[in-house]
Amino acid sequence: MTRDKISSAETSDPELNDPKKNDAVLTLENVGVTYKSGLPIFRQRSVHEALKDISFELNHGDSLGIIGRNGVGKSTLLRILNGIIKPDKGKIINHGYNTALLSLTVGYDNNVSGRNNAILSGMLMGKTKEEMIASMPDIIEFSELEEFIDHPVKNYSTGMKQRLGFAVATQVKTDVLLIDEILAVGDARFKKKSEAVMRKKILSGDTVVLVSHNAKTITSLCNKAVWIENGVVREQGDPDKVIKVYEEYITK
Amino acid sequence: MFLVEKRYRDVIYYKAQVHLRSEASKTYLSFLWWAFEPIISMAIYYVVFGLIFQRGTEDFIPFLLIGLVTWQWFANTVSHCCNSINNNLALISQLNFPKIILPSINVVMDTFKFLIVFLLLIIFLWAYGFAPTIAYLALPLVLLTQHLFNVSIANTVAAIVPFVPDMQIIISNLLRIAMYLSGILYSIEQLPEQYHIYFAFNPMVMIIDAYRDILMHQQWPQFQQLGIFALVSFIGVVLSTLLMKKMDPIYARVLMQK
Repeated sequence: MTRDKISSAETSDPELNDPKKNDAVLTLENVGVTYKSGLPIFRQRSVHEALKDISFELNHGDSLGIIGRNGVGKSTLLRILNGIIKPDKGKIINHGYNTALLSLTVGYDNNVSGRNNAILSGMLMGKTKEEMIASMPDIIEFSELEEFIDHPVKNYSTGMKQRLGFAVATQVKTDVLLIDEILAVGDARFKKKSEAVMRKKILSGDTVVLVSHNAKTITSLCNKAVWIENGVVREQGDPDKVIKVYEEYITK
Repeated sequence: MFLVEKRYRDVIYYKAQVHLRSEASKTYLSFLWWAFEPIISMAIYYVVFGLIFQRGTEDFIPFLLIGLVTWQWFANTVSHCCNSINNNLALISQLNFPKIILPSINVVMDTFKFLIVFLLLIIFLWAYGFAPTIAYLALPLVLLTQHLFNVSIANTVAAIVPFVPDMQIIISNLLRIAMYLSGILYSIEQLPEQYHIYFAFNPMVMIIDAYRDILMHQQWPQFQQLGIFALVSFIGVVLSTLLMKKMDPIYARVLMQK
Protein backbone atom coordinates (compact mmCIF):
# COMPACT_ATOMS: atom_id res chain seq x y z
CA MET A 1 0.00 0.00 0.00
CA THR A 2 2.81 2.39 0.86
CA ARG A 3 4.52 1.48 -2.32
CA ASP A 4 1.54 2.86 -4.29
CA LYS A 5 1.83 6.06 -2.37
CA ILE A 6 5.48 6.32 -3.31
CA SER A 7 5.05 5.49 -6.97
CA SER A 8 2.32 8.06 -7.39
CA ALA A 9 4.74 10.67 -6.14
CA GLU A 10 7.47 9.46 -8.45
CA THR A 11 6.85 11.92 -11.25
CA SER A 12 7.18 14.92 -8.99
CA ASP A 13 10.20 13.78 -6.97
CA PRO A 14 13.38 13.50 -9.06
CA GLU A 15 15.14 11.50 -6.36
CA LEU A 16 12.82 8.61 -6.96
CA ASN A 17 13.56 8.35 -10.64
CA ASP A 18 17.19 7.50 -10.03
CA PRO A 19 18.50 4.59 -12.11
CA LYS A 20 19.77 2.75 -9.07
CA LYS A 21 16.25 2.03 -7.91
CA ASN A 22 15.77 -1.63 -6.99
CA ASP A 23 19.50 -2.37 -7.10
CA ALA A 24 20.62 -4.56 -4.22
CA VAL A 25 22.04 -2.54 -1.34
CA LEU A 26 22.56 -5.14 1.36
CA THR A 27 22.28 -8.88 1.02
CA LEU A 28 22.12 -11.27 3.96
CA GLU A 29 22.74 -14.95 3.39
CA ASN A 30 22.03 -17.40 6.20
CA VAL A 31 23.40 -15.02 8.81
CA GLY A 32 23.84 -16.35 12.33
CA VAL A 33 25.21 -14.66 15.45
CA THR A 34 26.18 -16.40 18.66
CA TYR A 35 27.10 -14.46 21.78
CA LYS A 36 29.45 -16.11 24.20
CA SER A 37 29.79 -14.57 27.61
CA GLY A 38 32.73 -14.83 29.96
CA LEU A 39 36.41 -14.77 29.14
CA PRO A 40 37.22 -16.58 25.90
CA ILE A 41 38.77 -20.07 25.87
CA PHE A 42 39.41 -20.69 29.58
CA ARG A 43 36.36 -19.23 31.26
CA GLN A 44 33.56 -19.58 28.75
CA ARG A 45 30.24 -19.55 30.52
CA SER A 46 27.05 -19.26 28.54
CA VAL A 47 26.36 -19.30 24.86
CA HIS A 48 23.39 -17.50 23.38
CA GLU A 49 22.33 -17.81 19.78
CA ALA A 50 20.82 -14.41 18.98
CA LEU A 51 20.32 -15.03 15.27
CA LYS A 52 20.29 -18.45 13.64
CA ASP A 53 19.50 -18.18 9.97
CA ILE A 54 18.55 -14.86 8.44
CA SER A 55 18.40 -14.20 4.72
CA PHE A 56 16.91 -11.25 2.93
CA GLU A 57 17.81 -8.52 0.52
CA LEU A 58 17.46 -4.78 0.84
CA ASN A 59 17.06 -2.92 -2.42
CA HIS A 60 17.61 0.73 -3.26
CA GLY A 61 14.58 2.82 -2.29
CA ASP A 62 13.16 0.14 -0.03
CA SER A 63 11.79 0.84 3.37
CA LEU A 64 12.05 -2.47 5.10
CA GLY A 65 10.32 -3.13 8.38
CA ILE A 66 11.67 -5.72 10.78
CA ILE A 67 9.14 -6.97 13.26
CA GLY A 68 9.41 -9.39 16.13
CA ARG A 69 8.88 -9.67 19.85
CA ASN A 70 11.36 -8.26 22.35
CA GLY A 71 14.65 -10.12 22.53
CA VAL A 72 14.49 -11.95 19.23
CA GLY A 73 17.65 -10.33 17.97
CA LYS A 74 16.36 -7.25 16.17
CA SER A 75 19.03 -4.96 17.60
CA THR A 76 21.69 -7.54 16.81
CA LEU A 77 20.41 -7.58 13.24
CA LEU A 78 20.75 -3.80 12.98
CA ARG A 79 24.31 -4.04 14.28
CA ILE A 80 25.04 -6.62 11.61
CA LEU A 81 23.57 -4.39 8.91
CA ASN A 82 25.64 -1.45 10.15
CA GLY A 83 28.81 -3.53 10.33
CA ILE A 84 29.35 -2.97 14.04
CA ILE A 85 29.61 -6.73 14.47
CA LYS A 86 30.31 -9.48 11.98
CA PRO A 87 28.19 -12.65 11.72
CA ASP A 88 29.53 -16.00 12.93
CA LYS A 89 27.71 -17.87 10.21
CA GLY A 90 26.66 -16.93 6.71
CA LYS A 91 27.57 -13.61 5.17
CA ILE A 92 26.44 -10.06 4.67
CA ILE A 93 27.24 -8.32 1.41
CA ASN A 94 27.24 -4.54 1.36
CA HIS A 95 27.11 -3.43 -2.27
CA GLY A 96 29.09 -0.28 -1.55
CA TYR A 97 26.72 1.88 0.47
CA ASN A 98 27.12 3.85 3.68
CA THR A 99 24.83 2.91 6.51
CA ALA A 100 24.03 4.83 9.67
CA LEU A 101 22.39 3.38 12.74
CA LEU A 102 20.13 5.91 14.36
CA SER A 103 19.66 5.29 17.99
CA LEU A 104 19.16 7.86 20.66
CA THR A 105 21.89 9.04 23.02
CA VAL A 106 24.73 7.41 21.17
CA GLY A 107 27.56 7.29 23.64
CA TYR A 108 26.95 10.64 25.24
CA ASP A 109 29.68 11.87 27.53
CA ASN A 110 27.96 12.91 30.74
CA ASN A 111 30.41 15.62 31.73
CA VAL A 112 30.27 17.33 28.37
CA SER A 113 27.62 19.84 27.29
CA GLY A 114 24.73 18.86 25.06
CA ARG A 115 26.10 21.07 22.32
CA ASN A 116 29.49 19.36 22.23
CA ASN A 117 27.90 15.94 22.47
CA ALA A 118 25.60 16.73 19.56
CA ILE A 119 28.50 17.93 17.41
CA LEU A 120 30.59 14.87 18.28
CA SER A 121 27.83 12.42 17.67
CA GLY A 122 27.01 14.03 14.33
CA MET A 123 30.68 13.90 13.36
CA LEU A 124 30.81 10.20 14.15
CA MET A 125 27.78 9.69 11.94
CA GLY A 126 29.52 11.28 9.00
CA LYS A 127 28.93 15.03 9.23
CA THR A 128 31.77 17.52 9.38
CA LYS A 129 32.33 19.75 12.38
CA GLU A 130 31.41 22.85 10.37
CA GLU A 131 28.16 21.28 9.16
CA MET A 132 27.23 20.34 12.70
CA ILE A 133 28.03 23.80 14.05
CA ALA A 134 25.92 25.29 11.25
CA SER A 135 22.99 23.04 12.07
CA MET A 136 23.15 23.66 15.82
CA PRO A 137 20.38 26.33 15.75
CA ASP A 138 18.07 23.79 14.08
CA ILE A 139 19.03 21.13 16.59
CA ILE A 140 18.42 23.45 19.54
CA GLU A 141 15.10 24.53 18.14
CA PHE A 142 13.94 21.03 17.33
CA SER A 143 15.06 19.52 20.63
CA GLU A 144 13.54 22.45 22.58
CA LEU A 145 16.52 22.42 24.93
CA GLU A 146 17.14 26.17 24.83
CA GLU A 147 19.78 27.22 27.37
CA PHE A 148 20.16 23.63 28.56
CA ILE A 149 22.15 22.91 25.42
CA ASP A 150 25.25 24.26 27.18
CA HIS A 151 24.69 22.30 30.38
CA PRO A 152 26.47 19.00 30.91
CA VAL A 153 24.40 16.03 29.74
CA LYS A 154 24.41 14.51 33.23
CA ASN A 155 21.88 17.19 34.24
CA TYR A 156 19.48 16.13 31.48
CA SER A 157 16.34 14.11 31.98
CA THR A 158 15.89 10.97 29.88
CA GLY A 159 13.42 12.83 27.71
CA MET A 160 15.85 15.67 27.09
CA LYS A 161 18.58 13.27 26.07
CA GLN A 162 16.22 11.52 23.69
CA ARG A 163 15.06 14.78 22.19
CA LEU A 164 18.64 15.85 21.58
CA GLY A 165 19.47 12.44 20.13
CA PHE A 166 16.50 12.65 17.82
CA ALA A 167 17.35 16.18 16.72
CA VAL A 168 20.87 15.07 15.81
CA ALA A 169 19.52 12.00 14.02
CA THR A 170 17.36 14.15 11.76
CA GLN A 171 20.53 15.88 10.52
CA VAL A 172 22.28 12.72 9.39
CA LYS A 173 22.39 12.00 5.67
CA THR A 174 23.38 8.57 4.51
CA ASP A 175 22.63 5.96 1.83
CA VAL A 176 20.90 3.59 4.20
CA LEU A 177 19.22 4.64 7.40
CA LEU A 178 18.86 2.01 10.12
CA ILE A 179 16.26 3.03 12.68
CA ASP A 180 15.81 1.36 16.03
CA GLU A 181 12.30 2.18 17.30
CA ILE A 182 12.86 5.87 17.67
CA LEU A 183 9.97 7.04 15.58
CA ALA A 184 8.40 8.77 18.49
CA VAL A 185 10.09 9.95 21.66
CA GLY A 186 9.39 12.41 24.43
CA ASP A 187 6.01 13.72 25.54
CA ALA A 188 2.85 13.63 23.44
CA ARG A 189 3.57 16.86 21.62
CA PHE A 190 7.17 16.04 20.81
CA LYS A 191 6.10 12.54 19.82
CA LYS A 192 3.85 13.97 17.15
CA LYS A 193 6.58 16.25 15.86
CA SER A 194 9.26 13.57 15.76
CA GLU A 195 6.96 11.06 14.15
CA ALA A 196 6.15 13.51 11.38
CA VAL A 197 9.83 14.13 10.65
CA MET A 198 10.71 10.46 10.56
CA ARG A 199 7.71 9.67 8.43
CA LYS A 200 8.79 12.31 5.93
CA LYS A 201 12.30 10.95 5.88
CA ILE A 202 11.11 7.40 5.28
CA LEU A 203 8.52 8.25 2.66
CA SER A 204 10.86 10.54 0.73
CA GLY A 205 12.33 7.49 -0.98
CA ASP A 206 15.43 7.03 1.18
CA THR A 207 16.51 3.47 1.76
CA VAL A 208 15.48 2.64 5.29
CA VAL A 209 15.47 -0.32 7.62
CA LEU A 210 13.09 0.13 10.50
CA VAL A 211 12.93 -2.09 13.54
CA SER A 212 9.75 -2.08 15.54
CA HIS A 213 7.38 -4.24 17.50
CA ASN A 214 4.52 -2.00 16.51
CA ALA A 215 2.59 -3.53 13.61
CA LYS A 216 0.92 -0.27 12.68
CA THR A 217 4.22 1.56 12.19
CA ILE A 218 5.39 -1.12 9.79
CA THR A 219 2.24 -1.31 7.66
CA SER A 220 2.00 2.45 7.30
CA LEU A 221 5.66 3.15 6.51
CA CYS A 222 7.20 0.13 4.84
CA ASN A 223 6.96 -1.53 1.47
CA LYS A 224 8.57 -4.75 2.69
CA ALA A 225 8.54 -6.54 6.00
CA VAL A 226 10.50 -9.28 7.66
CA TRP A 227 9.23 -11.13 10.72
CA ILE A 228 11.88 -12.64 12.95
CA GLU A 229 11.13 -15.23 15.59
CA ASN A 230 13.63 -17.43 17.43
CA GLY A 231 16.49 -16.14 15.31
CA VAL A 232 15.02 -17.17 11.96
CA VAL A 233 12.94 -15.37 9.34
CA ARG A 234 9.39 -16.66 9.75
CA GLU A 235 7.82 -14.64 6.99
CA GLN A 236 8.85 -11.90 4.59
CA GLY A 237 7.43 -9.86 1.76
CA ASP A 238 4.35 -7.65 1.61
CA PRO A 239 3.90 -5.86 4.97
CA ASP A 240 0.15 -6.48 5.22
CA LYS A 241 0.61 -10.19 4.68
CA VAL A 242 3.57 -10.46 7.09
CA ILE A 243 1.84 -8.44 9.79
CA LYS A 244 -1.28 -10.57 9.46
CA VAL A 245 0.57 -13.83 10.17
CA TYR A 246 2.61 -12.16 12.88
CA GLU A 247 -0.47 -10.93 14.68
CA GLU A 248 -2.15 -14.27 14.37
CA TYR A 249 0.93 -15.80 15.95
CA ILE A 250 1.23 -13.46 18.93
CA THR A 251 -2.48 -13.41 19.81
CA LYS A 252 -2.66 -17.18 19.69
CA MET B 1 47.46 9.84 13.19
CA PHE B 2 48.29 10.24 9.51
CA LEU B 3 46.94 6.72 8.97
CA VAL B 4 43.43 7.83 9.92
CA GLU B 5 40.90 9.42 7.55
CA LYS B 6 40.55 13.19 7.71
CA ARG B 7 36.99 13.14 9.12
CA TYR B 8 38.05 10.83 11.94
CA ARG B 9 41.12 12.94 12.62
CA ASP B 10 38.73 15.83 13.17
CA VAL B 11 36.79 13.71 15.63
CA ILE B 12 40.00 12.92 17.54
CA TYR B 13 41.03 16.56 17.91
CA TYR B 14 37.55 17.79 18.71
CA LYS B 15 36.93 15.11 21.30
CA ALA B 16 40.34 15.65 22.90
CA GLN B 17 39.64 19.38 23.08
CA VAL B 18 36.19 18.85 24.58
CA HIS B 19 37.54 16.40 27.16
CA LEU B 20 40.38 18.69 28.17
CA ARG B 21 37.95 21.51 28.64
CA SER B 22 35.53 19.43 30.68
CA GLU B 23 38.40 18.12 32.80
CA ALA B 24 39.53 21.68 33.49
CA SER B 25 36.03 22.84 34.35
CA LYS B 26 35.69 20.26 37.12
CA THR B 27 38.15 21.87 39.56
CA TYR B 28 38.67 25.39 40.93
CA LEU B 29 42.25 25.57 39.72
CA SER B 30 41.15 24.06 36.40
CA PHE B 31 44.00 23.69 33.90
CA LEU B 32 46.59 24.84 36.42
CA TRP B 33 46.46 21.28 37.76
CA TRP B 34 48.09 20.08 34.55
CA ALA B 35 51.19 21.93 35.73
CA PHE B 36 50.78 21.52 39.52
CA GLU B 37 50.33 17.78 39.50
CA PRO B 38 53.64 16.97 37.81
CA ILE B 39 55.38 19.61 39.92
CA ILE B 40 54.14 17.94 43.11
CA SER B 41 55.28 14.51 42.02
CA MET B 42 58.66 15.90 40.99
CA ALA B 43 59.04 17.57 44.37
CA ILE B 44 58.37 14.25 46.10
CA TYR B 45 60.99 12.42 44.06
CA TYR B 46 63.45 15.24 44.65
CA VAL B 47 62.98 15.14 48.41
CA VAL B 48 63.14 11.35 48.63
CA PHE B 49 65.98 10.63 46.23
CA GLY B 50 67.87 13.91 46.18
CA LEU B 51 67.76 14.99 49.81
CA ILE B 52 66.97 11.95 51.97
CA PHE B 53 68.89 9.23 50.13
CA GLN B 54 71.51 11.59 48.72
CA ARG B 55 71.47 9.71 45.44
CA GLY B 56 72.05 12.94 43.63
CA THR B 57 74.51 13.25 40.79
CA GLU B 58 75.89 16.61 39.76
CA ASP B 59 73.07 19.00 38.84
CA PHE B 60 70.57 16.53 40.24
CA ILE B 61 67.51 18.75 39.90
CA PRO B 62 67.68 19.27 36.12
CA PHE B 63 68.82 15.68 35.71
CA LEU B 64 65.78 14.40 37.60
CA LEU B 65 63.28 16.80 36.05
CA ILE B 66 64.19 16.03 32.45
CA GLY B 67 63.89 12.31 33.12
CA LEU B 68 60.63 12.60 35.02
CA VAL B 69 58.81 14.96 32.67
CA THR B 70 59.54 12.90 29.58
CA TRP B 71 58.93 9.59 31.38
CA GLN B 72 55.55 10.82 32.59
CA TRP B 73 54.56 11.61 29.02
CA PHE B 74 55.19 8.02 28.06
CA ALA B 75 53.71 6.46 31.21
CA ASN B 76 50.55 8.59 31.21
CA THR B 77 49.88 7.93 27.55
CA VAL B 78 50.25 4.18 27.94
CA SER B 79 48.26 3.85 31.14
CA HIS B 80 45.41 6.02 29.84
CA CYS B 81 45.23 4.04 26.62
CA CYS B 82 44.78 0.76 28.53
CA ASN B 83 41.11 1.52 29.02
CA SER B 84 40.36 3.66 26.02
CA ILE B 85 38.36 0.89 24.35
CA ASN B 86 36.84 -0.63 27.50
CA ASN B 87 35.50 2.74 28.60
CA ASN B 88 33.57 3.34 25.41
CA LEU B 89 31.16 0.41 25.28
CA ALA B 90 28.15 2.64 24.61
CA LEU B 91 29.80 4.25 21.60
CA ILE B 92 31.27 1.05 20.19
CA SER B 93 28.07 -0.96 20.44
CA GLN B 94 26.03 1.67 18.61
CA LEU B 95 28.29 3.22 16.03
CA ASN B 96 30.59 1.76 13.44
CA PHE B 97 33.83 3.73 13.44
CA PRO B 98 37.55 2.91 13.47
CA LYS B 99 38.45 2.11 17.07
CA ILE B 100 41.92 3.60 16.57
CA ILE B 101 40.21 6.93 17.32
CA LEU B 102 39.83 6.03 20.98
CA PRO B 103 43.47 5.61 22.04
CA SER B 104 44.38 8.49 19.72
CA ILE B 105 42.19 10.83 21.78
CA ASN B 106 44.15 9.91 24.91
CA VAL B 107 47.41 10.36 23.04
CA VAL B 108 46.43 13.87 21.94
CA MET B 109 45.30 14.84 25.45
CA ASP B 110 48.41 13.55 27.16
CA THR B 111 50.68 15.08 24.56
CA PHE B 112 49.01 18.45 24.99
CA LYS B 113 49.45 18.34 28.76
CA PHE B 114 53.05 17.19 28.33
CA LEU B 115 53.87 20.10 26.04
CA ILE B 116 52.74 22.56 28.71
CA VAL B 117 54.93 20.91 31.34
CA PHE B 118 57.80 20.60 28.89
CA LEU B 119 57.64 24.31 28.16
CA LEU B 120 57.77 25.02 31.89
CA LEU B 121 60.76 22.71 32.13
CA ILE B 122 62.63 24.64 29.43
CA ILE B 123 61.90 27.90 31.21
CA PHE B 124 63.07 26.42 34.51
CA LEU B 125 66.29 25.10 32.94
CA TRP B 126 67.01 28.52 31.52
CA ALA B 127 66.50 30.13 34.91
CA TYR B 128 68.69 27.45 36.47
CA GLY B 129 71.55 28.34 34.15
CA PHE B 130 71.15 26.11 31.12
CA ALA B 131 70.44 28.57 28.35
CA PRO B 132 69.28 27.27 24.94
CA THR B 133 72.07 26.30 22.59
CA ILE B 134 72.27 25.33 18.94
CA ALA B 135 71.64 21.73 20.05
CA TYR B 136 68.02 22.70 20.73
CA LEU B 137 67.49 22.36 16.99
CA ALA B 138 67.57 18.59 17.50
CA LEU B 139 64.78 18.76 20.05
CA PRO B 140 61.89 18.30 17.57
CA LEU B 141 63.53 15.11 16.32
CA VAL B 142 63.78 13.69 19.84
CA LEU B 143 60.19 14.72 20.62
CA LEU B 144 58.94 13.14 17.41
CA THR B 145 60.84 9.93 18.10
CA GLN B 146 59.37 9.64 21.56
CA HIS B 147 55.93 10.46 20.22
CA LEU B 148 56.16 7.64 17.67
CA PHE B 149 57.34 5.30 20.40
CA ASN B 150 54.49 6.37 22.71
CA VAL B 151 51.90 5.86 19.98
CA SER B 152 53.15 2.43 18.98
CA ILE B 153 53.04 1.16 22.58
CA ALA B 154 49.76 2.93 23.36
CA ASN B 155 47.99 1.46 20.31
CA THR B 156 49.26 -2.02 21.06
CA VAL B 157 48.15 -1.81 24.69
CA ALA B 158 44.73 -0.43 23.71
CA ALA B 159 44.31 -3.22 21.18
CA ILE B 160 45.14 -6.05 23.59
CA VAL B 161 43.59 -5.05 26.93
CA PRO B 162 39.95 -5.66 25.84
CA PHE B 163 40.83 -9.30 25.12
CA VAL B 164 43.03 -9.88 28.15
CA PRO B 165 41.79 -7.68 31.02
CA ASP B 166 44.66 -8.90 33.21
CA MET B 167 47.05 -6.99 30.98
CA GLN B 168 45.91 -3.76 32.54
CA ILE B 169 47.26 -4.75 35.96
CA ILE B 170 50.39 -6.19 34.40
CA ILE B 171 51.01 -3.00 32.44
CA SER B 172 50.59 -0.65 35.38
CA ASN B 173 53.13 -2.72 37.33
CA LEU B 174 55.49 -2.99 34.39
CA LEU B 175 55.40 0.79 34.06
CA ARG B 176 56.31 1.16 37.72
CA ILE B 177 59.25 -1.22 37.37
CA ALA B 178 60.35 0.32 34.09
CA MET B 179 60.49 3.74 35.68
CA TYR B 180 63.20 2.58 38.05
CA LEU B 181 65.05 0.93 35.18
CA SER B 182 65.08 3.95 32.93
CA GLY B 183 67.78 5.95 34.66
CA ILE B 184 65.44 8.70 35.79
CA LEU B 185 66.31 8.84 39.47
CA TYR B 186 69.95 7.89 39.18
CA SER B 187 72.58 7.95 36.51
CA ILE B 188 73.27 4.59 34.91
CA GLU B 189 76.98 5.41 34.89
CA GLN B 190 76.93 5.07 38.67
CA LEU B 191 76.06 1.39 38.35
CA PRO B 192 78.71 -1.36 37.96
CA GLU B 193 79.87 -1.78 34.38
CA GLN B 194 78.43 -5.29 33.94
CA TYR B 195 74.82 -4.02 34.24
CA HIS B 196 75.09 -1.36 31.56
CA ILE B 197 74.32 -3.82 28.80
CA TYR B 198 70.79 -4.37 30.15
CA PHE B 199 70.00 -0.70 29.98
CA ALA B 200 71.14 -0.52 26.39
CA PHE B 201 67.96 -2.38 25.43
CA ASN B 202 65.65 0.06 27.20
CA PRO B 203 64.38 2.55 24.62
CA MET B 204 63.41 5.10 27.26
CA VAL B 205 66.99 5.21 28.57
CA MET B 206 68.14 6.23 25.13
CA ILE B 207 65.40 8.82 24.69
CA ILE B 208 65.98 10.39 28.09
CA ASP B 209 69.73 10.48 27.44
CA ALA B 210 69.04 12.31 24.20
CA TYR B 211 66.99 14.93 26.06
CA ARG B 212 69.75 15.31 28.66
CA ASP B 213 72.40 15.66 25.99
CA ILE B 214 70.51 18.54 24.45
CA LEU B 215 69.12 20.28 27.49
CA MET B 216 71.90 19.76 30.05
CA HIS B 217 75.14 18.80 28.35
CA GLN B 218 74.58 21.23 25.49
CA GLN B 219 75.63 18.72 22.87
CA TRP B 220 73.98 17.01 19.91
CA PRO B 221 72.23 13.72 20.64
CA GLN B 222 73.45 10.53 18.98
CA PHE B 223 71.72 10.95 15.68
CA GLN B 224 72.37 7.51 14.29
CA GLN B 225 70.93 5.73 17.31
CA LEU B 226 68.00 8.14 17.41
CA GLY B 227 67.31 7.74 13.69
CA ILE B 228 67.21 3.95 13.89
CA PHE B 229 64.94 4.12 16.90
CA ALA B 230 62.63 6.61 15.18
CA LEU B 231 62.38 4.28 12.20
CA VAL B 232 61.64 1.23 14.37
CA SER B 233 59.01 3.22 16.28
CA PHE B 234 57.45 4.36 13.03
CA ILE B 235 57.15 0.76 11.87
CA GLY B 236 55.65 0.02 15.28
CA VAL B 237 53.02 2.72 14.74
CA VAL B 238 52.10 1.32 11.32
CA LEU B 239 51.92 -2.26 12.59
CA SER B 240 49.90 -1.41 15.69
CA THR B 241 47.47 0.64 13.58
CA LEU B 242 47.06 -2.26 11.17
CA LEU B 243 46.55 -4.62 14.11
CA MET B 244 43.76 -2.43 15.35
CA LYS B 245 42.20 -2.12 11.92
CA LYS B 246 42.25 -5.88 11.56
CA MET B 247 40.53 -6.43 14.88
CA ASP B 248 38.12 -3.53 14.48
CA PRO B 249 34.85 -5.50 14.11
CA ILE B 250 35.72 -7.81 17.00
CA TYR B 251 35.73 -5.17 19.75
CA ALA B 252 31.98 -4.51 19.76
CA ARG B 253 31.40 -8.17 20.45
CA VAL B 254 34.17 -8.55 23.00
CA LEU B 255 32.74 -5.68 25.03
CA MET B 256 29.11 -6.75 24.66
CA GLN B 257 29.86 -10.31 25.71
CA LYS B 258 31.58 -9.40 28.95
